[in-house]
Amino acid sequence: MGKPNDLVQGTLDLLILKTLSPEAMHGWAIGKRIQQVSGEVLQVQQGSLYPALHRLEQQGWIKAKWAESETGRQAKFYSLTAAGRGQLQKESANWARLSAAIELVMAEA
Amino acid sequence: MRWLAQVRMKIEMLFGRGKAAARLDDELQFHIERQTAENVAAGMSAEEARYAALRAFGNVALVKDVTHETWAWVWLERFVRDLRYALRQLRKSPGYTCTVIGMLALGLGATAAMYTVVDRVLLRPLPYDHPQQLVKIAESGKKGTVSWGAPYLDLREWAERSRTLKQIGFFSTANLSRVSFLEDNAGAAQVDSPQVSSNLFATLGVQTALGRGFKAGTDWGSVSAEDAHSLILSDTVWRTAYGSDSKILGRTVKMSGDSFIVVGVMPRGFTFPFGGARPVVWRPIILGDADKVRAAHGMASYQAVARLRPGISLNAAQAELRGIQAGVAAEYIEPFQREQVNSIELQTYGDSLVKDNVRKSLLALFGASGVLWLIACLNVTSLMLARSSARQREIAVRGALGASRWQIVQQLLAEGLVLSVLGSLLGLALGTLTLQLFAHALTTQFSVHQRMTPSVSVIAALAGLTVLSALFSSLLPAVGAARASIEPALRTGSPQSGAGRGQHRLRAVLVITEIAMSLTLLAGCGLLLRSIYALKHVPLGFRTDHVIVANMTIPAYKFAGRNMTTEFYEPLLERVQHVPGVQSASLMTEVPLGKTFQMIFTFAADGNSAADVRRRELQSQFRVVSPEMQKVFGFTMLKGRFFNQGDTPGSQPVVVVNRAFEKAWTGQDDDAGKILGTTLMSYGKDRKAMVVGVLDDERQVSVAEQSKPEVEVCLPQITPDTMFYKGAEGMAMDLAVRTERSPSSIMPELRQLLRNASPELANSNFTTMDQIVEDSYGSQQLATRLLEIFGGCALLLCVSGIYGLLAYLVNQRTRELGLRMALGAQRGQVMGLVLRQAGWMLLAGSALGLVLAYFSSLLLSMFLYGVKPHDPWTMAAVTVVLLACGLASAWLPARRAAAVDLMQALRTE
Repeated sequence: MGKPNDLVQGTLDLLILKTLSPEAMHGWAIGKRIQQVSGEVLQVQQGSLYPALHRLEQQGWIKAKWAESETGRQAKFYSLTAAGRGQLQKESANWARLSAAIELVMAEA
Repeated sequence: MRWLAQVRMKIEMLFGRGKAAARLDDELQFHIERQTAENVAAGMSAEEARYAALRAFGNVALVKDVTHETWAWVWLERFVRDLRYALRQLRKSPGYTCTVIGMLALGLGATAAMYTVVDRVLLRPLPYDHPQQLVKIAESGKKGTVSWGAPYLDLREWAERSRTLKQIGFFSTANLSRVSFLEDNAGAAQVDSPQVSSNLFATLGVQTALGRGFKAGTDWGSVSAEDAHSLILSDTVWRTAYGSDSKILGRTVKMSGDSFIVVGVMPRGFTFPFGGARPVVWRPIILGDADKVRAAHGMASYQAVARLRPGISLNAAQAELRGIQAGVAAEYIEPFQREQVNSIELQTYGDSLVKDNVRKSLLALFGASGVLWLIACLNVTSLMLARSSARQREIAVRGALGASRWQIVQQLLAEGLVLSVLGSLLGLALGTLTLQLFAHALTTQFSVHQRMTPSVSVIAALAGLTVLSALFSSLLPAVGAARASIEPALRTGSPQSGAGRGQHRLRAVLVITEIAMSLTLLAGCGLLLRSIYALKHVPLGFRTDHVIVANMTIPAYKFAGRNMTTEFYEPLLERVQHVPGVQSASLMTEVPLGKTFQMIFTFAADGNSAADVRRRELQSQFRVVSPEMQKVFGFTMLKGRFFNQGDTPGSQPVVVVNRAFEKAWTGQDDDAGKILGTTLMSYGKDRKAMVVGVLDDERQVSVAEQSKPEVEVCLPQITPDTMFYKGAEGMAMDLAVRTERSPSSIMPELRQLLRNASPELANSNFTTMDQIVEDSYGSQQLATRLLEIFGGCALLLCVSGIYGLLAYLVNQRTRELGLRMALGAQRGQVMGLVLRQAGWMLLAGSALGLVLAYFSSLLLSMFLYGVKPHDPWTMAAVTVVLLACGLASAWLPARRAAAVDLMQALRTE
């Protein structure tokens, strides 16, 4: 995993939850979406993406379902659970507070 | 509902691991395919697109592994893998595996067996509410604790004045030794029928399951007169005697000839007093005139059980009651009665059930089994150390391949766990077997009437101990192995490079500790063997060979209003004497050492002369015997005569006393016979009994105790109008038969004969006098047998420990020894080298062991008879045995060392 996007553990989880909030997606699409939306800044490595997805699934924040993908092949689609939606709100609020705080410190300096 | 999803996930991951792995493969595969498709769309060739996708993905196997790690149950998966690997390792070295399992089985089996006994005897749960609050109150004084209870007036005084006790209930077991015969659907069941106060069940915190308890009368604790013929059944009696009859309440039942109406049934599992062998029914205590006066050991005495108020300690309650009792004792008119009851002894009810010496002996034996377990663990540790140094290379390779230290430790611990689980299974089997072998001794010693099989709590404790054994014996080797640096182990590559000096020293320390602990056990064993030997050579004062004893439960109610002596006992005896092969037969309320029934006779003497005081304090054994008794047991007469056919109801009542009685009565220790002609007791109006003979002393209470004063009265002279007729004849009677025939051939005949006399007697307990004597060695015998086993096992473990260490060292030093011989050392010198090593371990271990034995044998002092706890001969003997065995076990490795083939040894590397 490259240094610039060596995201804090919780941050990747937050990004995944946020990405999944509009619709169910498979792993490849999640990585692609994060990359696109961040303007190619954030590149999620497979080595962290899949463990994170499985961990979130074990924890009950997201659920998985096998369905036909855009290529016609069966793929594992992840979607948010009700609990996951709640978690996303909480984590987003936390993130907003944290980034605002960091901004304040940076502005001061 | 998040937890629901989590639980579903957990279950899925537990049972569908293979499927999940396949799906993960598929998921990652899809990722790569999708990326490939993307790359193709961007204009790459198929081949190029696929490589680019793979490159972008990185290490597929690693991603799989890391993802796998996030799954639930990963720890379990690892654990199972370790176990599987451990099993494979152990299968490869069956000798080592069997040795370790055997050693652990000895230690764990002994501990499990002893814990089963402790659990059954000391830790058994009482079927009452908050049993730790229940206490037993007994009066005490000059003659010690009064065991037969206290008069009603005293109990009421305590109940009225005590602030520390919530409630006092009372009961009477005065006729507990006399079985009651409860007529049921089938016949007559033998039951115990204690009498209880109206508040006893409430004090115990238990209510009837069916019906009601006894109605309270106007006086405190008493039962209302309308309940005088009411009966409460235990669940056992209700089920077995009346087939759980739902209409039992209100039914009239007959017990020992009297009619009772069943008013209640107690819940399942409830029994009181605790620990009796027979099922129980409860009768009410109806107060009478006898309860209006205070008389120490009067006829009306009750045992008191009380419940402490919450938060009150036993000592606080005892202090308070002692204060109250000072006032109560002052109410006694007779001064010598007063000083017998001027204090109070309080015990928790649970403690009152187990005699103090039984508790101590059990704990001592439990401790001994614990020591054996420790020895086994030390031995296994030592073996594992040797094995781990032999496996150094393998472990180093695993380290080199990326196993973390923790993983290596885990692996070795798993091996230890497998071994100790197998060991504990085998141990459990051994322990159960031991308990079976000792079932008779355990039952007679601890009066536990359930089967001694390991309970759930024993299994749980054993499981705990198993894990502990695994940790104990494999943690040290495991940590040692994990800490060893990888590189040198890989480089040297020789199986002989072995462990450093530190490890040898550690193993030597383990072996020395083992020797010391074994010596401690052996010393205890030796002391007990001496005691048993001394006990077996105590002159008992009577013959025990060829005597068969039947302990009869007498259905006295059937003979109400008749003379049992002439209508029951004499005809029965007559018939027994005519059985072929019977030389003589006799009746006796209790045979010597019988422990089934005891009557104590005391003498009233007013006045304050020295003789009066002495006689008042005399507590004499009291036995009713028939004239043939002397022929059966061969008692020696010192002076006068024994009973004979001329002693009839019409003739002068006569009694025979023993030497101890005469000494206590006259206060003098000179010639026997002075007491002859003295009148001791009254049989009724104008019938004073006179002493006609003095018996030599015999051991009648216990083999280890000196003879107690004893009075014997003649059975044919006891008639229904004799004062003590009811107590003497209606409760218990032993039939003693001298015969040349084998017990097994004559017992069925005698049993049939008893059955014909009265059907209830068919249940009589038959045994031989030899067995009774054997049983009376009791705790010593049991403790000796168990310690023999423990000591033997310890010696075996110790010997194998010494052998194991030396054999290993010789193996390690093959090259060095070969070199020494090449340089001119003689074979004898090489042998000496090895034996010297064994010698100093043995000496150091023995020295340490003697110090330990010095202290531990003090714990045994209550078992010892005729030998001091620090008997130098015993200590010397066991030390010599241990040293001899130790040297013998060192002999083999020493010989092998001396037989080392020179060239072979030098070529070894």
